[in-house]
Amino acid sequence: MNGWMGRIIRIDLSSGRQEPVAVSAETLRRWLGGRGLGVKLYSDMCPEPPDPFAAGNPLLFMTGPLTGTVMTSGRYQVVSRSPLTGTICDSSSGGSFGAALKAAGLDGLIVSGCAGRPVYLCVHDGTVEVRDASALWGLNTQQTQKAIHGQTPAKTSVACIGPAGENRVLFAAIMNDRDRAAGRGGMGAVMGSKNLKAIAAWGSQATAVADPEAYQTMIARLDRAVDKNPVTGKSLPVLGTSVLVNIINAHGMLPTRNFRSGVFNDAEGISGEKIAESLLQRQSACYKCPIGCGRTTKTRSKSGEGPEYETVWAFGAHLGISDLAAIAEANYACNELGLDTITMGSTIGCAMELHESGVLGEKMLWGDAGRLAGWVEDTARRRGFGVELGLGSKRLAAKYGRPELAMQVKGMEIPAYDPRGAQGMALSYATSNRGGCHMRGYLIMPEILGHPVFLDRFSTAGKPEIVALFQDIAAVVDSAVLCRFLQFAMGLSTFSEMLRAVTGLDFSDEELLSVGRRIYTMERLFNNRAGFTRADDALPPRFFQEELRTGSSRHRLVRLEEMLDRYYAVRGWDSQGAPLAATLAELGL
Amino acid sequence: MAGTIKVKFYALLRRRLNTTAIEVEADGISLLELLTRTEQLAGQRFLDELLDRKTGLLDGTMILVNGENVRLQRNLETRVRAGDRVDLFSPAGGG
Repeated sequence: MNGWMGRIIRIDLSSGRQEPVAVSAETLRRWLGGRGLGVKLYSDMCPEPPDPFAAGNPLLFMTGPLTGTVMTSGRYQVVSRSPLTGTICDSSSGGSFGAALKAAGLDGLIVSGCAGRPVYLCVHDGTVEVRDASALWGLNTQQTQKAIHGQTPAKTSVACIGPAGENRVLFAAIMNDRDRAAGRGGMGAVMGSKNLKAIAAWGSQATAVADPEAYQTMIARLDRAVDKNPVTGKSLPVLGTSVLVNIINAHGMLPTRNFRSGVFNDAEGISGEKIAESLLQRQSACYKCPIGCGRTTKTRSKSGEGPEYETVWAFGAHLGISDLAAIAEANYACNELGLDTITMGSTIGCAMELHESGVLGEKMLWGDAGRLAGWVEDTARRRGFGVELGLGSKRLAAKYGRPELAMQVKGMEIPAYDPRGAQGMALSYATSNRGGCHMRGYLIMPEILGHPVFLDRFSTAGKPEIVALFQDIAAVVDSAVLCRFLQFAMGLSTFSEMLRAVTGLDFSDEELLSVGRRIYTMERLFNNRAGFTRADDALPPRFFQEELRTGSSRHRLVRLEEMLDRYYAVRGWDSQGAPLAATLAELGL
Repeated sequence: MAGTIKVKFYALLRRRLNTTAIEVEADGISLLELLTRTEQLAGQRFLDELLDRKTGLLDGTMILVNGENVRLQRNLETRVRAGDRVDLFSPAGGG
């Protein structure tokens, strides 16, 4: 089979039994792989949403038909039910683990059950081997990877959890290839709940390509396109994602002090420009990536990966901190302990506002850079006030009677774009099926960055249509599986072309949009079964009631109600956000 | 004496020009005229990063006058006045 390996294994850690899962060619075409196929397989296994930490909550590691082939194809997607949000969740990570899993012969690995003692899995030659991980339990993610590299062949790629995942911190990440993270939604905590410390993958099985000659010609052309594009060819390689700090701040929507302002006076001090002239050692790149947006950095006493934009915001402007070294070191700590930097930083910011408002006794002060790494460590190890920070902002703010101070949607913390400054992004946050996330539909692209067209960020006209379109395209790219940064240099038709060249199937743009819509609707169906309704397609009241007072988004509020009904209509959902029977029939669901 | 307009450079432009801002003595001129004068004062070409003389702003170029994107105003014909602040960003992205 071209594109796919034709093999998915399900392993039950409780019994140790493993079996192949048959997937028809038609199913592959309808769901591709990665996020889409993962959500489909998950939904088939769990018609009723299980407790995220129950043995019966499967955890899927998925590759896609393009994994291991074209540029940026080292990625993988992790799918499960999130312990942070209760929604269906998929979390994406770069590096090379996806390519290694596929070279080991798999389109996906489904882990269910719970091991009686800590284990790690070795995947190679289409098989899965269970090994004892008792000696690895308690190690951080870098120690774990190093130890496993000592026990496996060269070129093994390892995905693992750190202490945060072992301790089931609700926003624990899965880390691979040193510092790449499947960060959002607590997939690391699900892994920890299964006593699964790591997965090591290696192999040399190549993905079959339908037309090798046309494929090579296409690759050369696309490499040139990526290189020629000013974002993928110049800005991202030189300045990384943190180039956005000054841009978003200039638009008055860099969330500052728990979203109370959209302007951070010290933005220059935490900008991509500043990182490039201070901490940066070199750029780093994932498997087959010509862009290289990663930042390998060094402070006086430590070195590591990052910070990228979301992290420099979460530990910087969001907390009123401009000490770049402290931000970088908190980032390194999250990488080593296995924590999502966005939820970590946002929850600390929530605690700071709770303290300031007088309901939280714990001394959490804006700008306190000195205690940042300690808060991260305490959270991962569940000690002291870290136990409460480990709840995430929604549960923390509710506990202290101020739920409105948690900057979250469906329990997931909103990232580094104030929705009052971009109406489409606001709608995208509210309707994201894994919660407050910018990656379901990145409306910042048209509303701020002007890709592929420039849209008026303050207008709601046409936003429901474009949000749904962006969400559907994102679902396709997440299922191919490729890096979303390619979208700066290429549109949907290029993704169709790549899928045609590799699989030999005649994918059209229209068919792929249907795939994306099918995935999005399937995720919605799961969330509806889990109890989510229109009331959850919401944003914190701050965004409807408190105008920004300074900067170029001042006097703005989110106008969600102008967009939500239309969005549901575009999606073919009823007024409560439940997919209509006709929509399900059209999508074959 | 006429007032000045502050033109700020970011990202790759800043690295290219090795400066963060230039003050241009001007009032009530078009953005294009301001940019042309800024290039002269900078002593080196940089407008090719932002615009095409024939077709206008390049896709992805972000120019803000007092924080508002000129694409929501009159593009290169936007009038700029003494005391204004102009932010120049060549195409960029992240996530």
